[in-house]
Amino acid sequence: MASPSAPRRLPAPLLAFPAWAWLLFFFVAPVGMVLWFSFGYKPGIFGTHANDVLSFDRYIEALSPTFFATFVNTLWVGLAGTALCLVIGGPVAYWMAVKAPMNRRGLLLALVMVPFWTNFLVRTIGWQVILAPEGWLSTLLQAVGLQEGPLELLYTRTAVLIGVVYNYLPLMILPLFVAFDRVGGSLREASKDLGANRIRTFTQVTVPLAQPGIVAGVLLVFIPLMGDYITATVLGGAKGNMIGQLVASQFQTAQNWALGSAMAVLLILVIALTVAAGALLLWLLTWPARSRRRLVLGDAS
Amino acid sequence: MTELHATRAIAVAEGSRSRSRFRTRRSAADIGLTVWSIAVFLFLFAPIIVIIAYSFNVGRLLVSWDHFGFDSFAAIVTKPAIRDAVLVSIRTGAVAALLATALGTLAGIAMARRPGKWVFWFIGLLLLVSVTPEIVDAVALLPWLVFLGQDLGLGIFSDGIVRLVIGHSLFSTAIVAYIVRARLVGLDAQLEEASADLYAPPLRTFWRVTLPLALPAVLAGGLLSFTLSLDNTIVAAFVQVSGTTPWPVYVLSALRSGLRPEIAAVSTIMLLLTLFALAMVAVVLRRAGDSATQIARTMAGS
Repeated sequence: MASPSAPRRLPAPLLAFPAWAWLLFFFVAPVGMVLWFSFGYKPGIFGTHANDVLSFDRYIEALSPTFFATFVNTLWVGLAGTALCLVIGGPVAYWMAVKAPMNRRGLLLALVMVPFWTNFLVRTIGWQVILAPEGWLSTLLQAVGLQEGPLELLYTRTAVLIGVVYNYLPLMILPLFVAFDRVGGSLREASKDLGANRIRTFTQVTVPLAQPGIVAGVLLVFIPLMGDYITATVLGGAKGNMIGQLVASQFQTAQNWALGSAMAVLLILVIALTVAAGALLLWLLTWPARSRRRLVLGDAS
Repeated sequence: MTELHATRAIAVAEGSRSRSRFRTRRSAADIGLTVWSIAVFLFLFAPIIVIIAYSFNVGRLLVSWDHFGFDSFAAIVTKPAIRDAVLVSIRTGAVAALLATALGTLAGIAMARRPGKWVFWFIGLLLLVSVTPEIVDAVALLPWLVFLGQDLGLGIFSDGIVRLVIGHSLFSTAIVAYIVRARLVGLDAQLEEASADLYAPPLRTFWRVTLPLALPAVLAGGLLSFTLSLDNTIVAAFVQVSGTTPWPVYVLSALRSGLRPEIAAVSTIMLLLTLFALAMVAVVLRRAGDSATQIARTMAGS
């Protein structure tokens, strides 16, 4: 009976074609063009790019010591920021999913989402106001006596780190909440009934079951954080601490599209390689646990 | 097996030996968790509260507090540059949301109802769109639009609003497609099959059955696209043409020339608008019977 009705429905290509076409034309083609530019060079002062001689020279230039330091710094901020988000957001997500009163959970989720949907630039400017040497936090700290002289945090790497942790924290809390919520109370109770204590239940039941959510949270934070441009510009100053700023400056001020393109491609490569390395590390770290479980099952059969 | 018994016995022993001790530790841990969470919530709201408070700052610069007043709100009306920027943002947001919703809805329905090998490749493309750093999107679109507009002479790509809409629609299309697909995958296709079996033409089945089923997700996706477009700074900063500067780019340029309290005032108004849009999304989803968790997942775009 399915076959007569099949031709009576709209064909898939027709439905998805507009999105395919749109994304191919305005995403794949432009990014492909950047990839193409990255093998070219900057001809003279007024030209932005030329591709008559192709080489990997722009990549070598992008990895020269001056720019390489920025790559290392970006990776440091990316890894430290993601780790801090996990450490800060993890307990909050757990509290919201497990401990907070059931009827308050919707409200709490809404509260986490408010900063998430406030203008990114504006909330970062909020931090600029807070951290400014002449701002109220500085005055407060001096009045209390915790700080001598004005607060000199703005335009440092610490300020950038505070900014990125703040900006990406909701992206960590939301998937973690969903993951902890999905584990459910009954499995934890079963674990406790079987005699496991609190810590054991957490490490051997809750965390392994929530692992996909933890991985999702880490990826959702790490990937956009590595490409961050706004936080670094607002809180890190014009010095250029992140690759995103380097890429932007090559396109906007230096007018060297070839070098900027190579940096953009390298940025994507760094992100992809770090994620791959992280996946490998996770696989190796969970290897003992997985092989142990397999052994127990083998014994039982 | 013996090993399993042994660990279980140890666990039971541990549990019974220290049950009373755990009760006090448990509440201490719970209190710690609650205090930590409240502190994090305060951290999350600190800059927002600061921006709202400083929008009542009457002074030359945003950062240094002078005295309380409503001057900054009055300045919005008197300064045409600010008003124009906000209007450009709202116009772009509306068009980009409509476009992304149309494209994303069709794609999401196709993915949910016509599964096949193509879905694998399509999701791959959507994932690529959503993980590519915005700055890369931005630097890629700028030369591409210049190429289309000037080298190929297609004048439409030199129009400010068109450029912004293109830039803002990419990520939103992917998000809408995810949301619509997630909703329809959870609903059985029987209704559509019944409609087809009753000899409804494909288009009528689509309009009368599939689309109404997907409607909550479509509305949620549309409103999210609108807020994403209002928020978009990086792509907008690159592709914008002078004369159609959207609000976030205006703020970004004000960052270099000195932030004034008007910026905080407009931000406060925009925050209220966004909150209203989000509340609408939540109401729509709640009406459609979603739980708090499902709403969170929809809004997080996963």
